[in-house]
Amino acid sequence: MEERLYDLIFICRPATPEEEIDKIISTLENAVTERGGKVDKKEKWGARKMAYRVMRHREGYYVLLVVRSSQSDTVHELERRLKVNDAVIKYMTVRLDEDMKRQKRLQQRRERKAARRPRPSRPAHSHPGAEQPAAAAPQQP
Amino acid sequence: MPDETKNESQPNPPQEQPKAAEAPRAEAPHAESKPAEPRPHSPRPSEGRPRSEGRGGDGRGGESRGPRDAGREGGKRGRRGFFRKKKVCRFCVDRVDYIDYKKPEQLMTFIQERGKIVPRRITGTCSRHQRWLAEAIKRARNIALMPFGGVR
Repeated sequence: MEERLYDLIFICRPATPEEEIDKIISTLENAVTERGGKVDKKEKWGARKMAYRVMRHREGYYVLLVVRSSQSDTVHELERRLKVNDAVIKYMTVRLDEDMKRQKRLQQRRERKAARRPRPSRPAHSHPGAEQPAAAAPQQP
Repeated sequence: MPDETKNESQPNPPQEQPKAAEAPRAEAPHAESKPAEPRPHSPRPSEGRPRSEGRGGDGRGGESRGPRDAGREGGKRGRRGFFRKKKVCRFCVDRVDYIDYKKPEQLMTFIQERGKIVPRRITGTCSRHQRWLAEAIKRARNIALMPFGGVR
């Protein structure tokens, strides 16, 4: 299986001590690395207000992990661990690689277009625009 | 032959009079409406009356539409009608390739008070970006970054 990219967000009870959150993160990280995956990013957003009440909490401690893995059971295992943990009140995994691929493709297309465009279009715009290609043209060749 | 003399003296408007008189009445509105558009001023009152007996009603209706577009009454209408500013997709302007669900502050502008996603006919978002936006909002809702209903 090709490698996939996931966003894993989970919310802990706001009263959870910091060490315990770190512990959860490290166990998750272990689970990922065991399966030949990688944690690209670890972000602790800290306690923030949630948009609605979750298990009677109005605030939650948000943690974001960006996980890269090519094994299919990774996410399954991560979610199982989060489900088991009492401190975690909510979690979500989002597969991101498709979106990122699309983003990259669009970006490349835009760059290609931008590279193709400058000479014919710029003089048509205005005088300040017309001065630029004169300066830019010598740089290109 | 009064018609011919008129033709020579006044180049454009009377040309239609003989045509309209000779041609069958069914064709009259067609023949008339075409030349009426470019110069709406002179021919209209003179022609409208003689044909008002039978199909005159149709003829006038067809005719009156032309000049309105061209200018006389149309000018007033155009000014009276309110001009709507063309809406542009905000994401297209910023060249957005991916709408991040982890930034609820940005998404908040695209939901209504009660948490509904604002339709794109109101925000002007293009269809592609609206799709991405809806996806992002739904993800954000799922993880309590954005409300499902009103903010409590």
